Amino acid sequence: MSRPETDRLIRDLAREAGAPPRARFLSMRWLLPIAVLSLGVAIALVFLLFGVSAQLPGTVQGAPFLHKVASALALAAGGFLLARDAVRPGGEEWGNGWGSGRWLPALLPGAALLLIGGVTDESGLSSFGRSDVSVPICVGAIVLVSLPALGLILAALRSGAATRPGRAGAAAGLLAGALGAAAYALACKNDGGLFVAIWYTTAIALVAGLGAVVGRRTLAW
Amino acid sequence: MDTREQIWAEAMRAERRGDAAAYGRLLEEVADVLRRLIRGRLARRGMGVHEAEDLVQEVLIGLHTKRHTWDPERPFLPWLHAIVRYKLMDAGRRSRREARYLSDLPIEEWSDLLAAPAEDPDRALVDVDRHVAALPMGQRAVVQALAIEGATVRATAERLGTSEGAIRVTLHRALRRLAAAANLEQAVPIRGKA
Repeated sequence: MSRPETDRLIRDLAREAGAPPRARFLSMRWLLPIAVLSLGVAIALVFLLFGVSAQLPGTVQGAPFLHKVASALALAAGGFLLARDAVRPGGEEWGNGWGSGRWLPALLPGAALLLIGGVTDESGLSSFGRSDVSVPICVGAIVLVSLPALGLILAALRSGAATRPGRAGAAAGLLAGALGAAAYALACKNDGGLFVAIWYTTAIALVAGLGAVVGRRTLAW
Repeated sequence: MDTREQIWAEAMRAERRGDAAAYGRLLEEVADVLRRLIRGRLARRGMGVHEAEDLVQEVLIGLHTKRHTWDPERPFLPWLHAIVRYKLMDAGRRSRREARYLSDLPIEEWSDLLAAPAEDPDRALVDVDRHVAALPMGQRAVVQALAIEGATVRATAERLGTSEGAIRVTLHRALRRLAAAANLEQAVPIRGKA
């Protein structure tokens, strides 16, 4: 490549001054509606997988359900903020590990709620749930219903500019996994605080890890 | 006396108003700064002016395609810094990958090469196909559209949702890569159909 070619490139690019980015639904501008839509998709999948139980009205009024949903949505809010910032270049001073310590405040409220639930757990229920299949069903279901959310959110993040694609993908996974966990609370039969603290966290972490791996490739530009 | 931050941020705002002249000047100034930065760094690694110019273009295209992610309320230089760093990191990763690709010489290919007395044209075509298939996805799409389907640069840019400049650059890179793979001495110069 030579200098004249660069000059021609600059002329080409300059000619496009003022052209707005292509308007797409799956873009950062719509990240919040996309997150809400993702939650809706996850809830629909939960009902599809587990049916709508007769105890649902009772479940959604109970403290355990509200605790699960509050924890999950707090983590989702953190994931949302992290994902939004991850695709805005220049927002963080680089070299400070995970985005100048933004991960901690983002994760703290949700993590604290789960921790409190685990510590104050007096239900006497096993941390492995009611039966042998509780853990695989819970973790598997959360990961599964989070997948569409992860796809939608990653697609939206592509319209931004991730300067650390893996990290941005992890944030997307945190958001998607937390939304999936909130949706799964509708079908979850395990109300032990310890069970929730351990296995919801595990499932969300798995989705975040998946987001990091997929994001490294799909968020590169 | 305005600082560079103010001058460049103003040029970026002018770009949004559709001021091509101001935006073009900004790109030229950024290119000059990048040249100074990148040439020095690459020279130490034994790379030439051409690689440096490639990288300069790479960053300019990145700046251009992601320019809407800059928020005019925020300072411009940190944004540009993040873009430049990302593109340099990316180039480092890519050059490692390319080194692997070039040095990936299975013993079969080596012995075929030594056994083949002369190049027959059919075989050469098959080779080109194979090399095109080995290109990164973006480059493959551009080569496919321009060289194989005979589309114009503009039509290809529209279809792939990028700028004509970016298409030209991608094509150029792909051809250079093919030339390297096919072991030609010189890359084919491009006559872009604008």
